Amino acid sequence: MNNDIFEDLKKAIKEYDTEAAASLAKKAIGEKIEPLKLLDAMTVAIREVGDGFGRGELWLPDLVGAADAMSAATPIIEEEIKRIGAKRESLGTIVVGTVFGDIHSIGKTMICTLLTAEGFKVHDLGINIKAEQFLEAIKKYNADILAMSALMTMTAPEQRKVIKFLENENLREKVKIMVGGGAITEEFSKNIGADGYDPTAPGAVKLARQLIGK
Amino acid sequence: MSRGFIRNFPAFKLLSDENIDQIHRGTLDVLQKTGVTVYNDKALKVFKNADCDVDFDSKRVKFPPGLVEECLRKAPTSFRVKARNQKHDLLLGPNNVLFFNFPGTDTVDLNTWEPRTPTEQEHIDLIKVLDALENVHFLNAYPYFGFSGGIPEVMKEIEGVALRMRNSTKVTVAIANNDIDRFTIKMAKSIGTEIFANPNTSSPLTYYTDQVNACFLAAEYDLPSMIWEGATYGGTAPASTSGAVILSNAELIPYIVLMQLLKPGARVSVANLVLAQNMGNGAPAFGEIGVSLHNVVFNQVWRRYGIPTVSSSCGPTSSKRIDFQNGYQKMMPTLLSAISGSSVLQLYSSIYGEITAHPIQAILDDDIAGMIGRFLEGVDAGDEALAIDLINEVGPIPGHYLGKAHTRKWWKKEQFAPKSADRLTYPEWLKADKKSCIEYAMDRMEKILSTHKVDPPLTEKQESDIEDILSEARSYYRENGLISDEEWDVYKKNFKI
Amino acid sequence: MLKGFTRNFKPLEILTEEQVESIHGGTLDVLRRTGIRFESEKALKLFEKNGCQVDYSNNRVRFPEGLVEECLRRAPSSYHVKARNPENDMIWGGNTTYFQALSGSQSIDLETWEPRTPTRKEFHDAITVLDALGNVHIVPWYTPWFGFKNVPPVMAMPEGLAARFRNSSKFICANYSMDCEVFNIEMARAVGAELRTSMAAAPPLTFYSDAVESAYRIVNAGFILLLVSGSVYGGTSPSTIAGSLITGNAEIIAGIVLAQLIKPGTRVIAQDFSFPQNMRAGSPAFGDIAISLHQAAFNQIWRKYDIPTDGGVSYPSSKKIDYQAAYEKSILSFTGALSGTNTIWIQGALYGELAFHPVMAIIDDDLVGMIGRFLEGIEVNEETMALDLINDVGPIPGHYLSKAHTRKWWNKEQFVPKVADRSTPPEWLKLGKNDCIDYAKKRYDEIISTHKVDLPLTDKQESDIERILKEAREYYKKKGLISSEEWDEYKKDLKSPNYPYE
Ligand code: B12
Repeated sequence: MNNDIFEDLKKAIKEYDTEAAASLAKKAIGEKIEPLKLLDAMTVAIREVGDGFGRGELWLPDLVGAADAMSAATPIIEEEIKRIGAKRESLGTIVVGTVFGDIHSIGKTMICTLLTAEGFKVHDLGINIKAEQFLEAIKKYNADILAMSALMTMTAPEQRKVIKFLENENLREKVKIMVGGGAITEEFSKNIGADGYDPTAPGAVKLARQLIGK
Repeated sequence: MSRGFIRNFPAFKLLSDENIDQIHRGTLDVLQKTGVTVYNDKALKVFKNADCDVDFDSKRVKFPPGLVEECLRKAPTSFRVKARNQKHDLLLGPNNVLFFNFPGTDTVDLNTWEPRTPTEQEHIDLIKVLDALENVHFLNAYPYFGFSGGIPEVMKEIEGVALRMRNSTKVTVAIANNDIDRFTIKMAKSIGTEIFANPNTSSPLTYYTDQVNACFLAAEYDLPSMIWEGATYGGTAPASTSGAVILSNAELIPYIVLMQLLKPGARVSVANLVLAQNMGNGAPAFGEIGVSLHNVVFNQVWRRYGIPTVSSSCGPTSSKRIDFQNGYQKMMPTLLSAISGSSVLQLYSSIYGEITAHPIQAILDDDIAGMIGRFLEGVDAGDEALAIDLINEVGPIPGHYLGKAHTRKWWKKEQFAPKSADRLTYPEWLKADKKSCIEYAMDRMEKILSTHKVDPPLTEKQESDIEDILSEARSYYRENGLISDEEWDVYKKNFKI
Repeated sequence: MLKGFTRNFKPLEILTEEQVESIHGGTLDVLRRTGIRFESEKALKLFEKNGCQVDYSNNRVRFPEGLVEECLRRAPSSYHVKARNPENDMIWGGNTTYFQALSGSQSIDLETWEPRTPTRKEFHDAITVLDALGNVHIVPWYTPWFGFKNVPPVMAMPEGLAARFRNSSKFICANYSMDCEVFNIEMARAVGAELRTSMAAAPPLTFYSDAVESAYRIVNAGFILLLVSGSVYGGTSPSTIAGSLITGNAEIIAGIVLAQLIKPGTRVIAQDFSFPQNMRAGSPAFGDIAISLHQAAFNQIWRKYDIPTDGGVSYPSSKKIDYQAAYEKSILSFTGALSGTNTIWIQGALYGELAFHPVMAIIDDDLVGMIGRFLEGIEVNEETMALDLINDVGPIPGHYLSKAHTRKWWNKEQFVPKVADRSTPPEWLKLGKNDCIDYAKKRYDEIISTHKVDLPLTDKQESDIERILKEAREYYKKKGLISSEEWDEYKKDLKSPNYPYE
């Protein structure tokens, strides 16, 4: 019985079935199944999807579809974790956003998906995000990493602004900062005092692991 | 069966119906007033019996308009052609589009871009590649003119047909020069495939014996024919497009009349290889855009006649390389021919003029064919594709579509993924050693050559029949002097005949 | 007046009447039911005043059908646009087609094909090339590049516009960002030209305040507003062509309604700038054939709305000037032209918005010449049908080469490209095996050493431009948008003896 529900949940993720994922999560919790194990099962499933993408067998809509299914179930399970006071082990918590003045979202959404698949807890703030909003989120979620995206040369300096802002607020040491997006280069990232840069989404995942030593 | 691609919207038109009438009437006028010269007495007699005005001394034939109209009506609007492997049977018709290759005499060296004679293996490799490419629906004559090692001129294409029969199961074309189609048609028959008879016109308004004989062979063996028209306007046709279309049509129609007189309902298609004249050097101006204007009007007229058209001017370019120029000179005429209603597009493998061809070019052209094919299918605007409910559900930002089931279902239908194109982003491309389309095509060629098998191979019986016909042809041309003693010695020695 | 090209036949149509109606109906449904998010208090109030249903809690505007139709009617279907030199004025709309350069962020190295930042001199030279090319009718924003070495990003737009005015008398465009449209408008007025500026949606169904603010400024200045969706289908719009036309048109229409409410009769143009999503990399699938279908359908629908269209989608996916770049660019621009795009971006671009090269522009100019020749179509009359001539020449040995008719007509019927290799193989060998890139490089050198802009700026215009650039520099410095390192580099650049040209 137990095994079945894990398999069903994995299947729901791998079949991109948002509704099934949510209702299975509810059902499992109703049956008092350990919520952390449910999260683990989903992570296994989405990693399989991620691997398929890496091998060129699956495509972006598959990857994001699986991530959507997972996000439909996650809040239900997390509530239960909170309720029973268990502790969730994740690789780390990452706050992600495209900087203020910039509405390019696609690359940012991609890295969110891959980071989630890898097992990070990802908070996607969206696009057009001001320094204050980044700061708030870092505090609120107790983030390990801040990831910023910028696609325009005009908005790239906004990343510098955010970093300065965090310094002024004495929060710079608290998080590792990684930057990316079409307008960013390795050199620029060093210039503005970021901790890491990568031009690709899979690279962003490796980088995140590296930054927190996992 | 190969239907190729289906055009799901009305064919593109350049002229009004009234203009088309004018062109049609002009064509009838030329056929009636001036007529054509036919160097073939058998044909002259057929025309005479059908009440044409025939002058046996000057070989001039003038056509009554009634006969022309009647014969155009008799020709079928669509027809099938049988291949050795049933899956390569063809359907030529008004709304489907097939592709085949355009020949080159020689291959090219991909480093120096200079032409050179291919080896037998290279010739076979090109056939194999054409056989493997899904959107090559049949093979033209050649694809190269013979191969190295000393084959007498007259035997080159006969040997070539033998190679095509051995290495491909797709339908091919039998050129008519020097009666070689007497042998190649026999070969086709012996292995159970049809082959296109291929009578050519000589501009202006003239027909030579062996070309006209192709019609008689087509009637005798009940074969489909592809009638080739190759005027150069400004040289052998008027320099104005409308005048050139009138001349081309006036040249094609006598063959159609002949075919329908010999065998009512005979399967005929008309191939347009009319090119502009390069007024700087006298060569045809390959890749010139005026050619497309000609082709679109030509298609419009022949759609009205209800006879399938073949566009041959998509293939040759004036570039010597596989480069930017070669790319646009292929894409533009192919697009125009396809949307204006050609049944067959002759795109693959040719580089410069009719001089060079290469399998890498064929593999690259396969992506153009795929793109055009996708374009022809048009836009689906049914309820599911409109996705109105989905749009209302997703709403403004932060809504997005990437993870939706609708996206997973539809994106591949809407896009066409080329097989040999560079579609990487800059960082990916740098990582992939800056690979470009030619390199991707080389990978694909390697894969085809190492995995593709002709399906099915010839049986032993078929193989020996082909050998017999080859010997028969050799003796025939030895006897009538088209293979000289020196040629024969080399041929015999190098090919162990 | 620049005539551009006139399309002398009915445009290519790929949709049935019913399909057009379905897409139109869907667009109205989305505008009415879901509406558009406008991050602008000012715009929300204007919409509310004019009968839209506005929800201030989520900045949502829902549009009644009547208002939409009225505003589409108010927008002119064809209009005059004014360049610095009146000889380069144009009339957009109807069956005319004009071409414009297609920009890229950076230049490329023609040996390694890698992108690199251009210099100030290269920037100016590239504009000279565009000014010289006969089939470039418009020199748009970000052209030739997004900026050049040593210029702070926020100054790239004003500096670029100044460079375009200085080196070309054609119709020039400039875009918005960080209030730069204020300086752009001033500059255009100083040189007596009009501008075209975009108002870009943030798909799906959203407009941010910078786009709205800029639209107000452009419309109030009496200039031309280009509305663009820029969705990536499969990402920010449905993955189907039909679905993405609905969201895209809903966004564009919302922008047109705003423009017509600010100032009735405002000249607008609807741009198709949508790409399918490359489902591997997440970038737009540049060069994909779906773009051609999208464009043809877009044109067909906007012809019904009777508003001119612009096509900005002819980017290749290839990084080199090669076979692939050619088939991608030619089919995308050609299907646009055949289906009725009024202004088409093409000359110069390589891979997806990221690379431009003037040598590419020179080669593309031939491609445009071919398209233009095709658009003109053919004449069918007594003279072109040439019946008497055909009957006179008769069969072989008759021929046409020596006829007066041929001398008169061949040049009208053919288009002779400037930098294509049209030699025979023996000639080609003798000439050193030149290809179109070699010929284009030669033409580049020729243009740079001989071409002069036909109407140089007057001293007064020159000093106005310099004054406005100074204002912009001050403005951005004060706003902290130019860092001190950037300023140091820039200052050196401004002191160059050949400023502003190198
Ligand atoms: C699609 C697109 C748009 C769409 C965006 C839709 C959307 N929801 O995202 C639309 C049409 C809305 C748009 C609008 C504009 N755009 Co735009 N757009 C692009 C385009 C074509 C592709 C960008 C993209 O999605 N790439 C694919 C993704 C996957 O790549 P990516 O984001 O870089 O992400 C990858 C990596 O960088 C990395 N990554 C991303 N983020 C991060 C973060 C971290 C921490 C790490 C480690 C890695 C990482 O992972 C990803 C996967 O590999 C580019 C040109 C191009 N070819 O790149 C122009 C481009 C970015 N846009 C540009 C411009 C100018 C604009 C506009 C101002 C134009 C206008 N006025 O019309 C507006 C912007 C308005 C605004 N305020 O932001 C310019 C920027 C030029 C410059 N030098 O500044 C570009 C370069 C095009 C150009 N040359 O003109 N645009």
